[in-house]
Amino acid sequence: MNIFIALVKREISEHNSLWKVPAVLLGIAILIKLSFTFGNLSIDFDVPESFELDSTVNSVFASAVGKALSYTNWLISTVMFIVAVFYALSSLYDERKDQSVLFWRSLPISDTETVLAKLAVALVLVPIIVLIMQSLVALIFLGTQTIDYLGSYLSLSLSGLAKGLLWSMLPTIAWCLLCSQLANRNPFLMALAVPLLVTIADWLFLNGIIADTFVINRFSGVDHYTPTVLVIGMLFSVACLALTIARRGERF
Amino acid sequence: MTDQATEPLAIQQTFVDVSNVSKRFGNTLALDNINLNIGAGEIVGLIGPNGAGKSTLLKAMMGLLKFEGDLTVFGQNPMANRKKLLSQMSYIADVASLPGWMKVNQLLQFVADTHTKFDISRARELLADTPIQLGSKVQDLSKGMKTRLHLSIILAISTDFLVLDEPTLGLDVLVRRDFQDRLVEDYFNQQRSILITTHQIDEVESILTRVLFIRDGRITLDISKADLKTKFVKLLAKDNIVFSDANLKPIYQRQLPDHTELIFEGVEASQLSDYGEVVRPSLEDLFVATNS
Repeated sequence: MNIFIALVKREISEHNSLWKVPAVLLGIAILIKLSFTFGNLSIDFDVPESFELDSTVNSVFASAVGKALSYTNWLISTVMFIVAVFYALSSLYDERKDQSVLFWRSLPISDTETVLAKLAVALVLVPIIVLIMQSLVALIFLGTQTIDYLGSYLSLSLSGLAKGLLWSMLPTIAWCLLCSQLANRNPFLMALAVPLLVTIADWLFLNGIIADTFVINRFSGVDHYTPTVLVIGMLFSVACLALTIARRGERF
Repeated sequence: MTDQATEPLAIQQTFVDVSNVSKRFGNTLALDNINLNIGAGEIVGLIGPNGAGKSTLLKAMMGLLKFEGDLTVFGQNPMANRKKLLSQMSYIADVASLPGWMKVNQLLQFVADTHTKFDISRARELLADTPIQLGSKVQDLSKGMKTRLHLSIILAISTDFLVLDEPTLGLDVLVRRDFQDRLVEDYFNQQRSILITTHQIDEVESILTRVLFIRDGRITLDISKADLKTKFVKLLAKDNIVFSDANLKPIYQRQLPDHTELIFEGVEASQLSDYGEVVRPSLEDLFVATNS
């Protein structure tokens, strides 16, 4: 357990976007709030349906504030998802590029522990950061009404978050970690190009079911998912992680 | 513990036991039936040109690749027990491998958290003798200081076996000498051993107690430094000479502009003194002589 905590601590200090980006986002939230109160920001923007506030809660606040809050919640989730993806893409690649993998692997730490620590940062730590930030933003926007709002928001969003984690995040991060381990030059390109080519090939020559199961569904299917496709995604993730661990063990 | 008389035997303990180990990459035989033992109290130099099989053998020892034959380190199969193995030994794969983004004290803390045999206060003590500041980032240190830092970390891990893979590559002569002196003074003793791989023979010659030459996947010479001194001699002769004694057959001969160098195995220096100057061959001489 000590080793696992040390590994996670290492990731946080190595990849400073994990805390710098949230800090910037909080700054933006404060600016938006200030603009609502003193500046020109108006209320005319749309947010995705899943981020719309519960109408009963919405009625409690001025709708402008509610909208702004929904908007920042969506922004935080999206940006932190991108942070997690880029973190996963760079984590194993960077340690090979700067040769520090030689040092890490000279310590009594197994490759499984290292890879799972990286997975935990993207899948556990980042969502926790998201929830903390959304709570802080609520505090900035609502002040004393925060508690009421959070009770409602979290009860709605937690299940959505858990679903999204298993449905989209787990396969995405596992795939990104694998690309980070395998790519010789550009893990980002690899992570992007392979699903793109699979999708195109599937559309052109097959019936599109592979592309739908592995790629399209992961972006858009969360609201109407089926257990089979969920399990397939999880098996795919386990396979990616196992391959990542094996490959890290074979090369310097 | 109670049986004091058997203690010298305990010193003969085997750290590494390699028997009949072969490794094939496609059609090339990277390791060809290697047999080798390393016990306590040795500084072993595994010396060979690039591609001789040094790193393949080292990777096999560190559990990084599969091979045919039997190989144990501390009685363990390195492939299956890599983590356990690494907790019993110290390993520097490359002195340029410390993570640059880390601060020195973060690095020490990380090793302390992950290696149970690491003594962080000992590491701080060792670093106190250097210009390295605990708050500095590793990437801001000079190459020499990075090496010093890496070595300080390794010296603060109380294991009995240290493996160094090409440890002094790219270091200037002062840093290299300092590095070696510290290995001998601060790490080495009768209970411990060091295995060093290198292709730069002259860089490590002075500190070794035993020499292993490796070429084309085979160990071509395995000899202690003490035996080396008595077993081989080098004759510097003025001209092409004819030996009256038919037993005087050089194993290697090299024509230089002003003299001829001849290397003999198992010949007394006194037998050769009539023919020219007799000197002790360098490891480089022997490497060439035994591999050509």
